[in-house]
Amino acid sequence: MKNRIKVFRAMNDLTQEALANELGVTRQTILAIEKGKYDPSLELAFKIARYFGVGMDEIFIYE
Amino acid sequence: MKQNFFYILAGIAGLVEVCLFYLSVEFSNPMLITIGFIAGVLLLYMAYRRVSDRQVDERLALINQKAGMATFMVFWVIFFATSLGSAVIGLGAPRFPHHLPSGKGEPGLPDRSMNIPDSVLGSGGHIPDNGSIRLGYFGYMQLAFLFLMFFLYVGFRVYYARKYGEWETDEEQD
Repeated sequence: MKNRIKVFRAMNDLTQEALANELGVTRQTILAIEKGKYDPSLELAFKIARYFGVGMDEIFIYE
Repeated sequence: MKQNFFYILAGIAGLVEVCLFYLSVEFSNPMLITIGFIAGVLLLYMAYRRVSDRQVDERLALINQKAGMATFMVFWVIFFATSLGSAVIGLGAPRFPHHLPSGKGEPGLPDRSMNIPDSVLGSGGHIPDNGSIRLGYFGYMQLAFLFLMFFLYVGFRVYYARKYGEWETDEEQD
């Protein structure tokens, strides 16, 4: 599964650390998701989408 | 409670357990170390729950869960195989516990006319109980397996942590 978290972070001028703190996870988890090493749970995926104010399908692309 | 304080507490608990093990052997009282170990683990568990600055998110939980499960599966197979082997040894023993013919004196003491060397006899001139000796060796083996499982867990932990991007770096890395 691919994702566009890095793009949305850049658009919102957010660091991985700041986003991780907002979502209550570690920075390493955000990094692992961005690099495609870890697929987040449905709950975390919804949190990410809700944080950026977009739909989940705009951030996560299932391939 | 800070996480570093918890690590110090764990170190102290470990030292206390070593002392308890020594005392347990010294006084030939297995309950001392058994109860002491369970109490130590409970103490550490309660202390761990009070650590305020630990951050375990879903990815770390998944890594721990997978490493624990993989270790448990290996442990189960090895421990069961060893236990089966030990059971076969136990069942195949001609008599349990093993006794040599007693002399005319105190029951349980061997016949002195058999000239059994003192090195073979245990304390008090009794024949060492072969069954107990085997159980003792089984205990050593169990401890060795447990230590091996600890290292195996660390190995699985490293494997899954690498798989789920624990040591990935990018431009934001310090």
